[in-house]
Amino acid sequence: MPRLSLYNATAPGWLKRTKLVTGMGMGARMALVARRPLLLADRRWLASKTQSQPFVRNSHTQTTTTSHSHSPKWRPASILDEWVAKTARPISLRQLMVFGRSLTESRLITSANYVRTELPTRISHRIRDIQKLPYSVVTNPHINEVYDLYYDAFDTFRKVKEIKTLEDNERLCATIRSTLKAHLTVIPKLAMGILECGELKDPADLDKFMNTILRSRISRRVIAEQHLALTDTFHAPWFSPGAKLAESEFIGEVFLKCIAKEVVERCGEAIKEITQRAYGPSVQMPEIKIEGHLDASFPYILSHLEYIIGELLRNSVQASVENHQKKKRAGPPPPIQVTIVESNQNVIIRISDQGGGIPRDILPYLWSFSKGPASAQILNNLGQVPKLAATMQELQLGDGQDQGGGGVFSSTLQPNHGNSLASLSSRPPNLRLGMGLPLSRVYAEYWAGSLELENLEGYGADAFLKISKLGNKNEQLTTRATMDAI
Amino acid sequence: MPSYIVTLKEDATDEQIAAAKKQAQEQGGKIGHEYGIIKGFQVIFPEGSVHSLDSNEHVKAVEADGEQQPYSSRHAPKEPSTSHPPRDAEHGRRHARRSEAEDQVPMLAKQPLHSLSLADLVKHGRPPLSAEALLSSARFTLSLLPIRLAHRIQALRNLPYIVVSNKNISKIYNNYQHSLSTLLPWQGRTISNLEDEIRFTEVLAELVQTHTDTIPILARGFLECRKYISATEVTRFLDEHLRARIGTRLVAEQHIALHFSSQPHFDPGASPTPCPEHPSYIGVIDTALRPASVVDSCGGFVADICELNYGVRPEWVIDGEADTTFAFVPMHLEYIVTELLKNAFRATVENHMNREPIVITIAAEPPDMRPHASHIGLSLPTETRGAFGGDAIAPLDDNAPGVTIRIRDRGGGISPEVLPHIWGYSFTTFSEADEVLGGDDALSVISNASNGNSSIAGLGYGLPLSRAYAEYFGGGIGVQSLHGWGTDVYLKLKGVGKIE
Repeated sequence: MPRLSLYNATAPGWLKRTKLVTGMGMGARMALVARRPLLLADRRWLASKTQSQPFVRNSHTQTTTTSHSHSPKWRPASILDEWVAKTARPISLRQLMVFGRSLTESRLITSANYVRTELPTRISHRIRDIQKLPYSVVTNPHINEVYDLYYDAFDTFRKVKEIKTLEDNERLCATIRSTLKAHLTVIPKLAMGILECGELKDPADLDKFMNTILRSRISRRVIAEQHLALTDTFHAPWFSPGAKLAESEFIGEVFLKCIAKEVVERCGEAIKEITQRAYGPSVQMPEIKIEGHLDASFPYILSHLEYIIGELLRNSVQASVENHQKKKRAGPPPPIQVTIVESNQNVIIRISDQGGGIPRDILPYLWSFSKGPASAQILNNLGQVPKLAATMQELQLGDGQDQGGGGVFSSTLQPNHGNSLASLSSRPPNLRLGMGLPLSRVYAEYWAGSLELENLEGYGADAFLKISKLGNKNEQLTTRATMDAI
Repeated sequence: MPSYIVTLKEDATDEQIAAAKKQAQEQGGKIGHEYGIIKGFQVIFPEGSVHSLDSNEHVKAVEADGEQQPYSSRHAPKEPSTSHPPRDAEHGRRHARRSEAEDQVPMLAKQPLHSLSLADLVKHGRPPLSAEALLSSARFTLSLLPIRLAHRIQALRNLPYIVVSNKNISKIYNNYQHSLSTLLPWQGRTISNLEDEIRFTEVLAELVQTHTDTIPILARGFLECRKYISATEVTRFLDEHLRARIGTRLVAEQHIALHFSSQPHFDPGASPTPCPEHPSYIGVIDTALRPASVVDSCGGFVADICELNYGVRPEWVIDGEADTTFAFVPMHLEYIVTELLKNAFRATVENHMNREPIVITIAAEPPDMRPHASHIGLSLPTETRGAFGGDAIAPLDDNAPGVTIRIRDRGGGISPEVLPHIWGYSFTTFSEADEVLGGDDALSVISNASNGNSSIAGLGYGLPLSRAYAEYFGGGIGVQSLHGWGTDVYLKLKGVGKIE
C-alpha cells in the first residue's frame, strides 16, 4: 500500500489536483492517509483517468472488443478490500460436531455469528479471484452470472448486523436458505464458462481457479447448511437443550457414523436404478462385491460421501456395461470389486472395475475441467443440466419421473436444503458432464483426504478414496497467503 | 605393514587414550600419528599380527588405514609427517591414470548426450546383419560411448572429495576412467574392417563385465559415507547415474548381441550377454516378449527363495490378457518383475496370508487407431526420434501399445511411516541403531546380493532401480498402499513399437 505523503512534493498528481488537499485540515489529511473510502468526487475523477481498474466501473465504459457488450455494475471497491483483508477461519468436522453436541441457545447464537462473518469473508476472496481473471474471461456470460450472484450474496451477508436473539437468527436463516437456492446453478455455469474460455487462459490456471472456487464453495455451504441444520434441531419438538445425541444420529449435517459398507450399498442400488433407466430394464449389470473391513465407520458429511462414491460407482458401472456390450460376451459384465480398509488414521475405499480402462487420449484431461477433444460434447451436455439443477429443488428428475424424494441422494435420513449434489448425481449416466472426477476430488481433499485413479488401459481402472477417520483435520482452504504465493 | 586408525569414544579421558596406546604397543604396534580433534591415533602393526584393540571398552572404532582418510593428517596439530611420502606415492599411483584421461574428460563431458532412441538400436537391421551393417553398428556405438562415460566421470568428480576417496566409490571411479581409456584409442580411427570390429566388441565386452557390480559397490560406498553426504544428494546422484548406466549398457550390450548373432560370428551361445537364437530377437530386444511367461519364471525363482527362507511357497494367479506380447528388453523386465514379486511375496508371507494368491493382471493397451501411428521399417531413418525426457529412450512410436501389469497382494500394505521412503535408496536411511546392533548386517546383505546369494530381504534399491528401468522406456511404476490389507503395484511399460 503506497504511503501517501502529503508533506512533500512526491504526492501523486491526482491528489494534489483535487480540492481535497488544498483545503484540508490535519484531521482530513490523516484520514486520507488512513485509507478512508474514496469520496464520490475523486472516484469519478479516477474513473475517467484509469481505464483498467477492475473494480471501479461506471456505465460509460463500453467494451467494443468483446462480442457481447458488457456494462459492469458499479460497486464500491473499498468495501471488498476490507473483507478480502480478513482471513478465513478454517473449521474441522470435529468442531462442527462440538457445536452440536450440547446445543444451547447461546451456542446457536455463536454459530450464527460465525456464519455471519465467515460467509462474506470467504466469498470476498473468491470475488477478488474472479476479478483478477482476464477481462475476456469474466465477461463470458456464464462466468459473469456467477460473478453477479457472488457479489449479490456478499452484499447481502455483509450487511447483516450482529445476531443477538433467536429472531435475528431466523432472519439470517431465511437469507441463507434463499441464497443457497439461488446458487444451485453455480457449478454447471462455472464449468460451461471454463470450457468456453479454453482459448483465453492456460487450462492449468483455469483448473487452479476452479479448484479454489469449488473448495471455497463447499466450505461456505458446509458452514451454512450446518447452521441451518443446527437451527432446525434446536427448534425440533423432540429437542431439549443439552441433550446428548446418540451415535447413529446427525449433528447438523455431519453424520457421526458413516458406515462405509452401507454407503456403498445404498449408492450401488441407486446407480443400478439409474443405469436401468438409461440402458433399458434388461441391461446386464455388473455385481458390486464388497470385501475388507466391513464395519469401518467415520464421521463425515453424508451428502459429500454419497456424491463421491456415487460418481465413482457410476463411472465403473457405465464403463463395465459399455465395454461388455462392445465385446459382445455372454453373461453379465465382470463384477466391480470394492475393498474397504481401515487403519488407525484412515479409511480407504478401493473400487476396481474391468470396464476397459481410460483411453490414452482423454487421460490427460481426467482431472481437469478443460476437456480437450471432448469439450464440445460436454459443453452441449452441460447446457441441459442447469435446467435439471434448477428444477430439482425437490430432487425430481427433469423428465418428470418422481423418485420419491430423490432416492438415496436426498439423504432421506435428514432434510436437505436444495442439495445441489443430489441433482447432479441422479442425472442419466449417458449425460457426461466431465466433472465427476475433478469435483469428487475437490470433495475428498476438502477434508484432508485424497482421491487417486490408476489406469489399466484395455482392462479396467482402480479408484482409491482415502478418508481421514478422525475428523480433526481442518478444512483445506486455499488461504490468501497461499494464493498470493502461487 | 597394515596400519589402522583407532578412534576412541567421545567421553574417553586422556588416561584412557594413553592406556589404549599402551595396549597397542604391547601387542607389537607402533604408534604413528596422534590426532587432536578426534580422540584417536594411528597404529602400524607388523604383517600378520593380531590385535585386540576393538575389545577395549573405550575404543569406538578401528578402521583400516588406506585410501579413506576422513580426518586427514593435515588436521593433526604438530606431527612430523613420517608416513607422508608413502601415502603420497600411493596417491600418485592411484591418480596416475587421471592425467591420461584428464585432458579428455572435460572436453567430452561438454558435448551433449545423444538422445538415444530405440530406433537407433534396431536401425541396423534384423540379425544376421551384413558386414556393413555390423560395422555401422560398431561405429554408432563408438560415437556414443566415450561421451556417456565422460559424463559419468564428471558427475563422480562433482561429488565431495571425501566421498570419492572412499575405497568403494573410488573403485567405481577408477573403473570408469579405465573404461574410457580403453575406448579413447579407438576415437581417432574408423572401424572399417571385421578384425577391428571383433576387437572393438571385445573391448565392449570387457566394459560390460567391469561394470557389472557397480550398484552393490556404490551402495556399500555410500553407506560408509553417509555421514559426509546428505541422503537427498545421494538419491539425486544415484537416480541420474543409474538411469544413465541403463542406457550405456544397453547400447553396448546391443552391439555385442548383434555381433554374436550375425554372420560370420553366428554363435549366440558365446555371447557374454543374453542373445537367444530366436527369430523374434533383435539383439537384446525381444519383439515378441510375453510378460506372462516372465512373471511365471520369475515367480518360480522368487517362490524358491521364499521356500528356502520361510518354508512357505506363496502362489500367484495371472489374469487379464495372459497371451499378450510386446517388444521389450527381457533382461529389464525380468529384473523389475523379480524385484516387485520379491516385495509382494515377502509381505504376503510375513503377514501370514500365504493362502491368498498374489494376483497379477496383465492389461494390453488397444492399438492406436489413429492414421498417423507409424510402424518402423528397418531402413535407416531420416531423422532420429527425440528423447522421451532426459536420458530416456523414446519409444519407436509414441503411441505404441504398451502393457500395464498390476501386482496385487494381501501383504498388509506399507505403513505410512515407510511409504515416503520407498523410492529412496534405503542404505541412506540406516540409523545408528542399525549400526550398533551388528553393523555389518546391512553391508553383508548388500554384498551377499552381489555374490549372487539370494536374500529375500530388501536390498534397499530394488524399487528405485526398477522404476529407473520402467521409466527409461517411457513407462513407470505406481504404488498404492492399503495399510492393513495389501498393496497394489502398477507397472506401466511402453512398447518398443511395431517393427516390420
